[in-house]
Amino acid sequence: MPRIPTRLIVEAYQHDALLPLLLRECRTLDSAKHELRWLREHALRVKSEATPHFSRTLLRTMCVARSKGIPLQYILGDQPFGDLDIKCTRGVLIPRQETETITYHAAKLILDKLSKDGGGGIDKNRPLRIIDLCTGTGCIPLLLHSLLSPHFPKITITGIDISTVAIGLARENRERNVRLGLLSKRALTDVNFQHGNVLEYADHTSALNKVFQDVRVPPSPHLDLGCDVIISNPPYISPQDYRNGTTSRSVRMFEPKLALVPPEESSTPLLGERNFQIEDLFYYHIAAIIAKCMVRLTVLECGSRLQAMRVATLCRNILQKRSETSGATISVWSVTGVDTHPYAVLIQMSLNNKGPCQGQQR
Amino acid sequence: MLRHLRRLSTCTPSAQLLPKRSLSTSQFLSEKALPPRLKLLDADITISYLKGTGPGGQKINKTNSAVQVIHKPTGIVVKSQATRSQSQNEKIARQLLADKVEQLLKGDESRAALKAERERKKKASRAKKSRRKYRELEEKKGVESGGWKGEVDGEGLRGGEGKPQDGDYVVEVK
Repeated sequence: MPRIPTRLIVEAYQHDALLPLLLRECRTLDSAKHELRWLREHALRVKSEATPHFSRTLLRTMCVARSKGIPLQYILGDQPFGDLDIKCTRGVLIPRQETETITYHAAKLILDKLSKDGGGGIDKNRPLRIIDLCTGTGCIPLLLHSLLSPHFPKITITGIDISTVAIGLARENRERNVRLGLLSKRALTDVNFQHGNVLEYADHTSALNKVFQDVRVPPSPHLDLGCDVIISNPPYISPQDYRNGTTSRSVRMFEPKLALVPPEESSTPLLGERNFQIEDLFYYHIAAIIAKCMVRLTVLECGSRLQAMRVATLCRNILQKRSETSGATISVWSVTGVDTHPYAVLIQMSLNNKGPCQGQQR
Repeated sequence: MLRHLRRLSTCTPSAQLLPKRSLSTSQFLSEKALPPRLKLLDADITISYLKGTGPGGQKINKTNSAVQVIHKPTGIVVKSQATRSQSQNEKIARQLLADKVEQLLKGDESRAALKAERERKKKASRAKKSRRKYRELEEKKGVESGGWKGEVDGEGLRGGEGKPQDGDYVVEVK
């Protein structure tokens, strides 16, 4: 990391005595000013019972914490996600803005393809079933519910995570947003969060398998029980990228590694696969789930264009093994248009069409 | 007091959002509703989030949620970074852009120009009122202090003209 020029520090100090502290983490004067404003607003909001002196001390403490690299969202305690307000605590990954954009895109796709007027034709008596794997704060299920519930009379969204802390926080977020009036009361029954390990799907006794038990499609063509949508933002950073400085210091020090890097020890059975990379570990398992459950729409967040292309290929290979799923359309969607920013892999399965597997790139 | 309340409840949109009930249900006569905001076609605008190269996503935790909106036909670019929320910033940027485009298309007839003009008039009227009030006060003060002076004239100047404080004076008159 390049040094901050003294000139910039002096300039920041002249603006506000606290700015040089924030500059250490923000690196630019502009973003430091914005963060100072948000921190100040927060300090003034919590002062209610205390004296102005207290809010000044609080602001200073928060700036010092920020200068050590503690994420702003952990200091302020929340992060806006769409129209929702997601509580953030240590031990659970902070929702990213790219994930927000992908969630909006997924909601648009669901409305286009699966809603009644979109021609997708979901049975009236059957709820739309969505499963979010590696849910973390629960931001994706909650935002999807807020976007989709006006259009679907029945909807069930399940968020799955391996971390019990995350599951607790996700439930808390559900209640919090209903209380704040940002989510309809339906969310309390429609959205639920369960503990499960995506990597243990093959194990029939695992908790995750129980979640899918009622979703699993019987071999007959009655696909009414199928899960309609799977969306996931799994850990996708390679152990190398985690160490070599690509991953920022603040993320490494304060956000859970569990949510960022796939476990190296679980990847041994896949080492024989061609082009296997540890950071793609979760996608192999998710692709297996998609193939088994005949999921109609899958949205997977990936770290970069390169990874998205790899994931698209591996999903195609896995889906092609079964004739029922070989008609899937796989495409890649960019969030910002920059190759090193997240991409989404979209897999659409039309249940009647049994043509050859197509790869499409947008 | 009443006028003040009524003004509060009819003029500012933020006050309208509050669950307060206004005293009168009829609108202020002088408050003609502003023309509706120009609706921009989604096809005409490009929205871009978080510019910049380098890694993104899980690898870094950006707090910068700037949203940039470009109106393609006119080439106007608007950027908003006011809040931490990306969707909120997008709304703000869209609104600003709509105002700017309208201003370009309609000039003085646009909503923003009308609003500014209305604000200017209000300010001018306030300034005028306050000038008038202080002028009257000044005149009254002149008359009364003159009378007082006359009364005490015989006994000689005890307190001098500066004795009654300006502030006290205003309160008394009211």
